[in-house]
Amino acid sequence: MLKHTTCLCLLTVMMAMTPGRLASQSVERLQVRADSLLREWRRANALADMVDSLNHARAGGTDTISVGALRIVTIPSPARLREAAARAWPVIDSLYGSEARQLEQRPYLIAPYDPDTTSPKPTLRGATQVPWDKDVASLAMMLLMNVPIGRPDSALQNWLGGPVAPIVHPVQARAAVYVQLVTAPSQPARNCFLGVMNDCRTALTLGQSPDPVDQWHPSAAERRALVSRSFAEYFSYSDHGARKPALQSCRAGSDSACTELLRSLPAGVLPRPLTYDARAALVHVALRLGGREAYHRLVATPGTPIADRLAAAAGVSVDSVVALWRSEILTARPAPVTVPPWGPWAALGWTAVFAVCALRSSRWRVS
Amino acid sequence: MFHVVLYSQWKWSRLIIALGSVAAFALPLVSVQGAARPDTSPLQAAELLQSVQSWGTLYPVLAAALGLLVAIATWAPDHRGRHVHALSLPLPRWRYVLLRFGGGATLLAAPVIAVAASALLATWSATIPAGLQGYPVALAIRFALAVLVAYAVFFAVSAGTARTAGIILGLIGGVILVQIVAGVANIDLDLFGKVQVAVLNWPGPLAIFTGRWMLIDV
Repeated sequence: MLKHTTCLCLLTVMMAMTPGRLASQSVERLQVRADSLLREWRRANALADMVDSLNHARAGGTDTISVGALRIVTIPSPARLREAAARAWPVIDSLYGSEARQLEQRPYLIAPYDPDTTSPKPTLRGATQVPWDKDVASLAMMLLMNVPIGRPDSALQNWLGGPVAPIVHPVQARAAVYVQLVTAPSQPARNCFLGVMNDCRTALTLGQSPDPVDQWHPSAAERRALVSRSFAEYFSYSDHGARKPALQSCRAGSDSACTELLRSLPAGVLPRPLTYDARAALVHVALRLGGREAYHRLVATPGTPIADRLAAAAGVSVDSVVALWRSEILTARPAPVTVPPWGPWAALGWTAVFAVCALRSSRWRVS
Repeated sequence: MFHVVLYSQWKWSRLIIALGSVAAFALPLVSVQGAARPDTSPLQAAELLQSVQSWGTLYPVLAAALGLLVAIATWAPDHRGRHVHALSLPLPRWRYVLLRFGGGATLLAAPVIAVAASALLATWSATIPAGLQGYPVALAIRFALAVLVAYAVFFAVSAGTARTAGIILGLIGGVILVQIVAGVANIDLDLFGKVQVAVLNWPGPLAIFTGRWMLIDV
């Protein structure tokens, strides 16, 4: 890696020096410069080799674990990385499909260490350090949460609010989105819960709106609540308190003041009706519908609107994707009662046990 | 005979039962305060859940307190009289204990009914946002079971001798001591965690007290 960087730097320097002046310089002078650069290049190479060999010697060499296209460069250790990779790979493969082949060129770097000693931990440049004795499930989760796949374009990331990543606990994630739909401080989210499909698109911020304040928080009460609860402090102190009068008007009931305040927020600060989890669940629905090439299609057209990209990835209309997403979220309604069905019997059983203990009390025994 | 025992226990614990019933009746109603205000905010659903959850922590506390106090009140006069009255009765011991247990459990029905009535009233009167639902019956049943378990535990402890109490305290002290020694010796031993899991997770004896106590939930 260091060698490549050095070469690139030197080439860049050479190319930068070349134009304009070439004509005015003699061949001998250029020859001297080229020789000098060659000497620097060789010296840099030797240094890089030395650093690499020192790291290599200190780490005791590296292993490469391959499962599917997944690659893990690691230091030899008893860590159960292969089993973890075997668990993680099917999930990664099913999400990214053909694009998961990228991982052949983008290995995980993991440096397991002995958790029971105070000796220095082995180093592997840029590696994640994990204790040897970490269980397979935790290691697999770590692999899933840090897939070193190429980041998608910024438009997709900005809309989603993060990278496209595997959902580690899909049932719990969908249940959390269900709770959001019910409790989100936004009319479109609640309307989506009630079945207004157009509002589902709004809640998922799939529509292109020039005024997100009006679209995401359509009622005056919502806007006032948003200003007074989430941004009161910000508006009190921003611009040396210049917005304080508007804040007071908003609190007093002026909807135009609330709206103007919210519109004055920097781009990307206005809270969206639903969080990353909801949009990530939508992306996963689209990728599941679209098959192995779905992720490739999703990231292939960075310039087009997100709704169109999701439709292209899924191979169906975006309305169908949203409808399926909503149906899955509503199905994942979390269990409201935390007592298992046999819980009452267990409680009655314990009551009987303690009552029998009282019957057997030594106070009552005649000696 | 049961009526006599019940009457005597009522005399000893009527203040506890009365205050407990008032508290039990107030709790569900207080927890949904604000759900029916005319100036309901769009953040109401989340706020309502938060309020219900916060007040919900008091249900197990109230259940445990009622169980403890009624169990103590059940045995206190017998302890004071050194059980002479009980032993003079023409009753086998086991029957006397069952009568006492039944008497206390019957009296505890009052706060349970108070919770059930209040929970029904609260869910009926509150404006519950779409997507949320009231669970008054489930809450009342859970409260009844928690009261019963707490009462049984403290009834058994109260019925025991000082020696029994000493053994129980000694066991608890032993667990603490072993945990401390293990910590000092840097031994990877988590007795507290294991005991906690065994007691507070299903099917442990105190599992009924744990988890969320929600009158209104998704």
